[in-house]
Amino acid sequence: MVSEKVTLVNPQGLHMRPAGMFASAMGKFSCDVTVVTPDKEVNGKSPMALMAAGIPCGTEVEVRCDGADEAEALAAAVELIKSGLGE
Amino acid sequence: MFEGVNASEGIGIGKAVLAVEPDLSFEPYKVEDSAAEKARYQQALDVFCEKTAQQAERMKVTVGENEAEIMSGHIMLAQDPGMTDAINAAIDGGTCAEQALVETSTMFENMFLSMDDEMFQQRASDIADIRTGILAELLGKQVVDLSVLPAGSIIVVHDLTPSMTATIDKENVAGIVTEVGGRTSHSAIIARALEIPAVLSVPNACGALHNGITVIVDGTNGHVISDPDDDMLADYEQRASAFAEEKHALEAYRGKPTVTADGDKKTLACNIGNPDDAKTAVDHDCEAIGLFRSEFLFMDAKELPSEDEQFEAYRKVAVTLKGAPVIIRTLDVGGDKEIPYMNLQKEENPFMGYRAVRYCLDNPDEYKVQLRALLRASAFGDIKIMVPLVTCVEELRQVKELVEQCKAELHEEGYKFNEDIEVGIMMETAAAANIADILAKEAAFFSIGTNDLTGYTMASDRGNDKVAYLYSWYYPAVLRAIKNIIVSGVKEGIMVGMCGEAAADPLLTPLLISWGMEEFSVSAPSVLKTRKAISQWTKADADALEAKVMQLSTAEEVKAALEEAAR
Repeated sequence: MVSEKVTLVNPQGLHMRPAGMFASAMGKFSCDVTVVTPDKEVNGKSPMALMAAGIPCGTEVEVRCDGADEAEALAAAVELIKSGLGE
Repeated sequence: MFEGVNASEGIGIGKAVLAVEPDLSFEPYKVEDSAAEKARYQQALDVFCEKTAQQAERMKVTVGENEAEIMSGHIMLAQDPGMTDAINAAIDGGTCAEQALVETSTMFENMFLSMDDEMFQQRASDIADIRTGILAELLGKQVVDLSVLPAGSIIVVHDLTPSMTATIDKENVAGIVTEVGGRTSHSAIIARALEIPAVLSVPNACGALHNGITVIVDGTNGHVISDPDDDMLADYEQRASAFAEEKHALEAYRGKPTVTADGDKKTLACNIGNPDDAKTAVDHDCEAIGLFRSEFLFMDAKELPSEDEQFEAYRKVAVTLKGAPVIIRTLDVGGDKEIPYMNLQKEENPFMGYRAVRYCLDNPDEYKVQLRALLRASAFGDIKIMVPLVTCVEELRQVKELVEQCKAELHEEGYKFNEDIEVGIMMETAAAANIADILAKEAAFFSIGTNDLTGYTMASDRGNDKVAYLYSWYYPAVLRAIKNIIVSGVKEGIMVGMCGEAAADPLLTPLLISWGMEEFSVSAPSVLKTRKAISQWTKADADALEAKVMQLSTAEEVKAALEEAAR
């Protein structure tokens, strides 16, 4: 398993569009993707779970990837979050 | 007879078809073969997604891209791995598919409902919509289906949801009756777009109107009559054909100039929301574009549209109008128009807050992108720039200063544009109406936005049922504001037009003629009607009526006097 901490920069947090974008990007990898916030762990491939976690802007989250392509998945996840998920 | 909101004009006579939500109750049971149960859920899910995808495709054509995107979003949520995993886990624990779906979706729904954010509240109602759809598949029930209706159906429904409107078979629907919704609701907009007579907010319509009975929907007056007697039926059949005839008679005004009874030339323009509407407007015989609401370019996008994208949209309209004037309103963000990627803060009082020209002047770099695009497009037609929500002359000066900066830049870069592009004001605040004489000295034109002007002058939100009675341009306060704007503009020799809904109100036409208004900008279907209304009045007759009406004290008296004089 690999993991990295990264800060969410989306001004309105993880709402529909960025959550959908993140989850669908993660869906392309075979490994498990978990997004860990200070108080919960959610499935990184589920836009609904990501949205329902209600993660506000400025939160430091930990992305954990576990599986065959974990390194590539983690790099992609961190890059996406840093770039503001298309916003 | 039932009374409701007259949401879409015309008269429809037909048989009631009650669109009632199906009974989706079920008895939970213990699952033995969880693999088979999971497969059963998966199959229901697949069928639901396939049907939804088909609806979205149909909707693109019948309703619009935005509505279709909502349906596509439903598929993404329904297939969400977080939800599917939770449902499969519940089934593995012995819960039946129906119960697993209800429990899991309700959990997500409650999570979204608990969040204090409108966007998440919307997701909660999406999930409820999805639950109904998949549950109906699991139980083998039919959700409300309006795609196969007998000819001459009157749809009676609690509320017309996006997923229902997707399937409506326009040819067979004679009218629509709902229990909720106002003139600006989703149901109303759809009904008008489809040109189906509709009466909304009829209390207990689903209880009172039985399947198969004859119903008359008078969408012009907001009346619904069930099981009419022969006299009544004959009366309405005659009215329905009179309505059709009137529509037909208006064709005589197609291709004719817009002139008053004594030959004074006016301009009949159209209000449009996107470049494609310009074609529709021309087809409806308009002579100019009096209002192109540019924010739809921004609302349909996922990020700020680039200068080139905006230029292309403006150029397209200019070219479609073949040199006729095109007034383009610069970005009117805020108030009731939210643009997600702009991340404007929620405000206590958005209509008095950070919106329109206030936002634009505070973000000059974004605003200049639009101004440059407008200038570049002015090389291809008679484009004029209109600034919304102006309250003081300082705002107009700042915009004009930015326009000058953009001109200098474009010169430098070698672009062609209209050096003398006009910059005018959308007159829609009480402040602007009061200083119309000051503004008229520096603005190239005025266009009166009566929707906001009425709201701001009367301090009344027409969407608020409790105070909507105050929202009327027959109040002397609103008429005086309009008069002051027109008279001040005419005195300075600038063009004065009107792009609010009042421009298409034939009762107001004589007043507007009397004050000297030049341009009437209306929605495409109102072009011929308005041209006819203008042709009925001479300046002398209009002046006489004006003198009488402006003496009156109440909206009721004003409206009665105008109705009595109506031609």
